Amino acid sequence: MYKKKSLSFGERAKKFWRDNREGWMFVLPLVIGLGVFTAYPMIQSLVYSFHRYKGTEYYFNGWTNYIHILTKNRDFWGVVGNTCFYAFVSVPIVLVSSYLIATLVNQKVKGVGIFRVIYYLPCVIPGVVGGLLWKDIFSQNGIFNQFLALFGGHCDFFESGNKFVAIPSIFLMNMWSIGGGMILWLSAFKSIPNQLYEAAEIDGAGKVKCFFNITIPMSAPMIFFNVVTMLIGTLQYNGTLTFAPNGEGKDGSLFMYAVLIYEKAFQELSFGYASALAWILLVFVLALTGLLFFLRRFTYSGEDN
Amino acid sequence: MTNTTMKKTMSAKTNAIIYKVVCYTLLVLFAIILIFPYAFMISKSLMTPEEAISPKTVLFPASPQWANYSEILKDSGYGKAFLHTFEVIVFNSIAVPLSATFVAFGFARFKFVGKNFLFMFMLSTMMLPAVVTQISLYVLYSKINWLNTLLPLTIPNLTGGGAIYIFLARSFIQSLPKDIDDAAKIDGAGPIRRYAAITLPLLKPVLIYIVINVFNSAWGDYYGPLIWKLDENFPDTLAYKVFYLITNGAVGNDKTNIRMAAGVIMSIVPAVLFFIFQKQLIEGVAMDGLKG
Repeated sequence: MYKKKSLSFGERAKKFWRDNREGWMFVLPLVIGLGVFTAYPMIQSLVYSFHRYKGTEYYFNGWTNYIHILTKNRDFWGVVGNTCFYAFVSVPIVLVSSYLIATLVNQKVKGVGIFRVIYYLPCVIPGVVGGLLWKDIFSQNGIFNQFLALFGGHCDFFESGNKFVAIPSIFLMNMWSIGGGMILWLSAFKSIPNQLYEAAEIDGAGKVKCFFNITIPMSAPMIFFNVVTMLIGTLQYNGTLTFAPNGEGKDGSLFMYAVLIYEKAFQELSFGYASALAWILLVFVLALTGLLFFLRRFTYSGEDN
Repeated sequence: MTNTTMKKTMSAKTNAIIYKVVCYTLLVLFAIILIFPYAFMISKSLMTPEEAISPKTVLFPASPQWANYSEILKDSGYGKAFLHTFEVIVFNSIAVPLSATFVAFGFARFKFVGKNFLFMFMLSTMMLPAVVTQISLYVLYSKINWLNTLLPLTIPNLTGGGAIYIFLARSFIQSLPKDIDDAAKIDGAGPIRRYAAITLPLLKPVLIYIVINVFNSAWGDYYGPLIWKLDENFPDTLAYKVFYLITNGAVGNDKTNIRMAAGVIMSIVPAVLFFIFQKQLIEGVAMDGLKG
């Protein structure tokens, strides 16, 4: 004890180094990665967002980019509306429909495992192939419209100028990759001890009661986490590039926020303006995540893992 | 057996049968719905150009046009694109699992100053929209002449390949008994040896999961090449080439059949991988999901 106190600065530094060097060595690649590919570019883009930076032109212009985006940009509010509509409607749809599918493949009948595999299969098919395929299925003379024609119907799907037709077409397309959500629910079901249901059954609780009082609260932590990541993911959705006409849809009906940033940054090379757009998205994502965590503390009363 | 109990068992039996019929009907129905688009794509890839764009949908080709596939395989552009994709995949499939488990080993087995901060910082990057960093990286890459090359798709992966893989590997290492590590330490094994010779061989399930996912994301990545490409000197990847085919109508609007064939080729590889490694993949997704 006394010896420790009498260590000189040099010795203490040596001990400090000895105690930490092995751990530091292992996380060094991560530290470099976070520094070079995350922290530095993040700060840099914040700096760019206060500059006019287009091609080689580069000078400070304060809040001009932000003010222009919020008040003068013709696409901005339309794009925000599209993206929010897509994100906030598609996540609940995916959650509910994948829950139903997961319940179906969780039934104890023979051969159900094969169906799980089949249902998950579309999820491994690359997005660009999905875009190619569904653009064709949903085209004017495509197979879906021929099917609708049997009942005298017709739909423009992705080619519609109405976002309330064009964006729900993405929801329909996303049903194809419902297997991803299904797997999440299945693992949530698996983690719920069966005794809970048995006890509830003895107490005379019905299926609906079991769902609201056992399944939902027990899978809440995991589902919550996935809702957060799904929302963040859908707010950055740029898959429309593969199937929307011009990447924006007719009259901008499929114009998404990430695509607007893509066009500003990598087609017009307006790095300052695009950085401001990106930072608005980042602030929105942070605020939304904060709100979700706040609501969770507010409503969720179960035991935390 | 009295009459009433017989009736009861009878109705229980019919109920069980009805339940099974309903289950299988729904299971098969959804399977057909989910498989149909893919089957339709395969069918279309074997059609003549006229059949593929006919205003009255043709479900099956009159005679399968296998030549559609050989047309793609003969096109040297696709061959080159495949090679570039292959380069990216080989690099990333080695770099990501090794660097992710290396970093994860540090998090799981050592105490060091700044550990919690670093870990939380890493996790918080999952919330960071990629576009926030892409713009400055574009400027950076243009200064060091990385644009128009495959370097932006490969080199950054030397640093762990993302928070999820490191997180997953760390959880897995923590679930292994620490005694193995301690025993090796007493026997005089250094930290690198304990990682490479003792722990790494035990991480097989995680390594498989990471490799397959790295493979799939590199295989299907069209957006990376799209933003890092400057001109035709760029080494196009397969996914980018398919993306270019479907978005540039002028390049072959009449060739729907060929595009579908390219789509089939692009999806066969991940589908086969999925069938071989479905157990590890599905369990990995489950692990992924349980972190909440």
